[in-house]
Amino acid sequence: MATAWLRFLLGRLAGTAVVLLVLSFGIYCLVYLAPGSVEHTLLGNRPATEETRAAIRAQYHLDDPLLVQYWNWLAGALHGDLGTSIRSGEPVDVAISSRATLTLQLSTLGTLFALLLGIPAGIAAALRRGRAADQGIVVLSVAGLSAPPFAVGLLLLGLLAVKLGWFPVYGAGDGGLDRWWHLVLPATALAIGGAGLLVRFTRTSLVRELDQDYVVFARARGLGGVRVLRYALRNCAVPILTATGLVLTSILVGSVLVEVVFALPGLGSLLVDSVTFKDVPVVQGVALLLTILIALVNLAVDAAYAAADPRVSLVRRKR
Amino acid sequence: MSALCVDVRGLRVRMPGADGADRVLVSGVDLALAPGESLAIVGESGSGKSLTARSLLALLPAGLVAEGHVEVAGTLISDPRLARPLHGRRIALLMQDPFTMLNPLRRVGAQLADGMPRAVRRDRRRRREEVARRLEEVGLSPEVADRYPIQLSGGMRQRVGIAAALVSDPEVLVADEPTTALDVTTQREILRLVRRIQHDRGMSFVMITHDLRVAFSMCERVMVMYAGRMLEVGPTAQIQAEPRHPYTAALLDAEPPVDERLASLPAPPGSVPAHDEVADRCPFADRCAHVTTVCTAGPPPLLEVGAGHVSACARIRELGPLRRDRGEAAAPPAPVSAGDRALLRVTGLGKSFHGAAAPALDAVDLLVARGETVGLVGESGSGKTTLARCVVGLETPTAGTIELSGRTFSSWDDLDGGEARRLRGVVQMVFQDPYSSLHPVRSVGATLADSLAAFGRPHGASDVAALLELVGLTPAHARRRPAALSGGERQRVAIARALAPEPELLVCDESVSALDVSVQAQVLDLLARLVRELDMALLFVTHDLAVVRQATQRVYVLRGGRCVEAGSTSQVLDAPTHPYTQELLDAVPREDRNWLS
Amino acid sequence: MSTPLPTDPSAAVPGGRRRRARPRRWPGTVVAVGLVVSGLALLAALVGPLFLPDATQQDVLLGVSQPSAAHPLGTDDLGRDVLQMVAVGARSSVLGALLIAAGSLLLGHLIGLPAGYRGGWVDQVAMRWTDLMFSLPALLVAIVVTGVVGGGYLLAVLTLVVLFSPGDTRVVRAAVLEQRQRPYVEAARLSNLRDRTIALRYVWPNIAPVVTGNAFLNFGFALVALSSLSFLGLGIAPGSADWGRMLADNRSLLLSNTWAVVTPGLAIILTAAAVNVVGDWLHRRLDERGLRR
Repeated sequence: MATAWLRFLLGRLAGTAVVLLVLSFGIYCLVYLAPGSVEHTLLGNRPATEETRAAIRAQYHLDDPLLVQYWNWLAGALHGDLGTSIRSGEPVDVAISSRATLTLQLSTLGTLFALLLGIPAGIAAALRRGRAADQGIVVLSVAGLSAPPFAVGLLLLGLLAVKLGWFPVYGAGDGGLDRWWHLVLPATALAIGGAGLLVRFTRTSLVRELDQDYVVFARARGLGGVRVLRYALRNCAVPILTATGLVLTSILVGSVLVEVVFALPGLGSLLVDSVTFKDVPVVQGVALLLTILIALVNLAVDAAYAAADPRVSLVRRKR
Repeated sequence: MSALCVDVRGLRVRMPGADGADRVLVSGVDLALAPGESLAIVGESGSGKSLTARSLLALLPAGLVAEGHVEVAGTLISDPRLARPLHGRRIALLMQDPFTMLNPLRRVGAQLADGMPRAVRRDRRRRREEVARRLEEVGLSPEVADRYPIQLSGGMRQRVGIAAALVSDPEVLVADEPTTALDVTTQREILRLVRRIQHDRGMSFVMITHDLRVAFSMCERVMVMYAGRMLEVGPTAQIQAEPRHPYTAALLDAEPPVDERLASLPAPPGSVPAHDEVADRCPFADRCAHVTTVCTAGPPPLLEVGAGHVSACARIRELGPLRRDRGEAAAPPAPVSAGDRALLRVTGLGKSFHGAAAPALDAVDLLVARGETVGLVGESGSGKTTLARCVVGLETPTAGTIELSGRTFSSWDDLDGGEARRLRGVVQMVFQDPYSSLHPVRSVGATLADSLAAFGRPHGASDVAALLELVGLTPAHARRRPAALSGGERQRVAIARALAPEPELLVCDESVSALDVSVQAQVLDLLARLVRELDMALLFVTHDLAVVRQATQRVYVLRGGRCVEAGSTSQVLDAPTHPYTQELLDAVPREDRNWLS
Repeated sequence: MSTPLPTDPSAAVPGGRRRRARPRRWPGTVVAVGLVVSGLALLAALVGPLFLPDATQQDVLLGVSQPSAAHPLGTDDLGRDVLQMVAVGARSSVLGALLIAAGSLLLGHLIGLPAGYRGGWVDQVAMRWTDLMFSLPALLVAIVVTGVVGGGYLLAVLTLVVLFSPGDTRVVRAAVLEQRQRPYVEAARLSNLRDRTIALRYVWPNIAPVVTGNAFLNFGFALVALSSLSFLGLGIAPGSADWGRMLADNRSLLLSNTWAVVTPGLAIILTAAAVNVVGDWLHRRLDERGLRR
């Protein structure tokens, strides 16, 4: 059992390492191949002497071949040195860590909202399937699923913050409760799509479970409605977990846009600013961090499968 | 207050459709059960037997509505909600499939405890003792309580199901085909257990089954249903000796006997109609040998034909007692042919599936001569289907050789393209489930034309029609899709597809086991005729020894991937030498009650 | 096949036995609305720019304005009519999403069909590829690629095709694998039918419902992804009539003309939702083919 888990973990680790390598190398190639040079972005339209250009090229090793440049970066990264931002001169790890907290808070709150909204609505729809309430919930969930978080964010901003003045318009607040208060609207914008997805998964799997023989048999034995529902819900754990994983990753990525809408100084706005500036070290850092976070989410979901369904772990134990 | 446990009068089950277009599925069912009494409801698929049983608990599938007087343990169930307090405590249901009936994520002990009173559930020690006691009643040891259903065999799961159904000590147990999903030897154990518990507890018992023999051996009274209607109800002994409805007699005759081979199985033509197609007349009229204008003029009344014995045959008084017609015994099958005419010779064949503990097939030898009919018998896990699939090339064996039509190879993968195409014209297969073996959205004619074309044969409309007529269908069937065909018709199409290249060997993998008994008899007759007329060899894979008796000259008995006995069919079935063969023979349902004791 | 309106079956039963209703199809009105909205969006995308050639004509003197008779939804800060802009903007938003959904469907078939039907090394390679793509945050990669290369609209569409295709590949492969072990496919193999015939004429019609449903779902997601990029100023050129771009450009107009922000936002949400509804409905209709006589 323990060795099976260890092997599983190591496999995952190797897989993630490959993904990170491919991604970081891909980004390097892109920058190398892309039109427009780094020194041009740095200098803008200011006049510059040939010496200044050469100094910049030397500082950022821009004359080295692609593979050498990449190797230097990789060697540094493996030693925990992600380089410095071309734009601000700040070390990349400092730039990222000062902004990661906000993104994580936003994603956590968004996921929480999505779970609290989506799962109960999905259960309600399944229990009333075919009736008006079910149809209404399903239509709303399709709309939610189709709504881009930045559009929802703008609509919420316009209505609840600008028109009604119930929520702060921009910024991340002054820490503590104020911070969370500022995050309510952006988190809601992020949660709408996730809630739609969770409604879909929860409703479909619960409808399927409620039709299963074991549910009929439990009712025939005189088990009450609540306990029968608990039976069925327990068996929906795997699809709901799958959806939760999808929601978490989509919210992590979606936060990029929502941060732009609400002018929140998180990883997303950092990434967008750096991308247009061709600030490779920062782009690399943010992309790698988000990829690692997504790998962690997937790992957690897989581990949760085994906890939720003994059949998963039983099969694994047999091998 | 009536003294009856169950009192049903004028039961109707219907499916309300849009804009008032209802479909009726069951009508006119009366049923009365005294305490301790047992009743079997018998019928083929579509007879409405399961819906009748579910109506007793008001647990019909979503979208169906029951009407009429349904009274259980003194409570009139005029609304499904009124049935809830009765569930488990007064009336319990045992379902068909032990693999889906138990909650897969809950340990057995916890599932049993779920039905116990709160005081017992809360007290850990009492709960453990009670669970152990309940498990013991169904012949399981207390350790089973800690297992998940997936860790138990089908028979054990069905025992747990019985214990769970009886946990609140109901007065009535309704069992819906409780052994259909089980192996034959397990079926006998479970039936025995149910009967013993029913006697010990003095419970009333309603059993749903498609098998008249099982009904006779389990219950005091029998009710025969057809197309959603009641055709005959009476004491077991009377119906067994003297059925008073032509359908009951036909059902009995169509059951292949295990002890002798018949020249042909008498089977009524056609298949079970839907309730609404025959609502205005005797539902069996179209298939009945005794039909007159009386039968189609209107729905026949229920006539009293004996003490507690009624029949829905309008002509039963003039027909008198119906003789049971077992059909003519066949001449003993031709002697087993010599090895030099071998068409298929399998030598030392083995197959291990990746990750499986034991091989599915272990050094099996098999011989089929030209024009010979050979049976392959075993329970689930015996390797019989794996062997058949290796022969036709759907599995790759891991050991041994196959010699087919003079060509020897270790697996179909080794053959080059041309050779494989040629040999596929030599051996063809008919699958078990006629519902999944045909392309669901392609017309029957197109499917058959595809096969003819792939073997380079003429494939015009007339060729397809000829193929359809060969299997007893009409050219009009070519335009239909599988969904428009009955199970028997689909299986005929599947056979026609297999016959397209005029194969020398037809492999039938449980090809009649998914069919109703009257349709099974028709298909067995069809296969016998085809073997005769086309001079084909037949390799018939089945779990049913009675089918083997009717369909084959020689038989191999498989168990756990090994062949335990082989020989001529009559020899093996009349005087088995291996104890396992004997066990299988004993497990074939017989009409007498002693079968279970 | 008609879609019956929601009527509770228990309502018609005398004595009123309450039963859980049969799972019903989408009510006709919802599907009808979905079809109309999808049709309008497609129409606007195909012919909008032909009928409204002056939609992006600026009128700086007018500037931002509230809804009026001349401009039902007002104008943006450059004096452009919001309604016309939304109508014309359908082209880049809707056609782009359509291209992405179709392209990834094609790519998904090209990889998924052989992977599922043949298995072996083809399958191994295809699965490694999709696994890799699935571990990447798709939208993030799209942002980085279009941002760094700065290659404009077509590059954005192509990038999204590649990023969407692993999903289609998986759906196609899983559906093929499921059908492949069905007896009707095995029977076809025994009938000497060629692999291509089996894959295209036997397997494909039976995976069509799933695959089609997924393509429609993809359209919605593609619309969202593409307008996300536009919103960030990536892909489409600044100032273009594009729903995502309009949202970004008109952000500051929330107070002066709310419609300039609300309209493109609603256009994205409604179109994606409508197409999803139609996809769901089509999926079920295709799925029921096998049950029809």
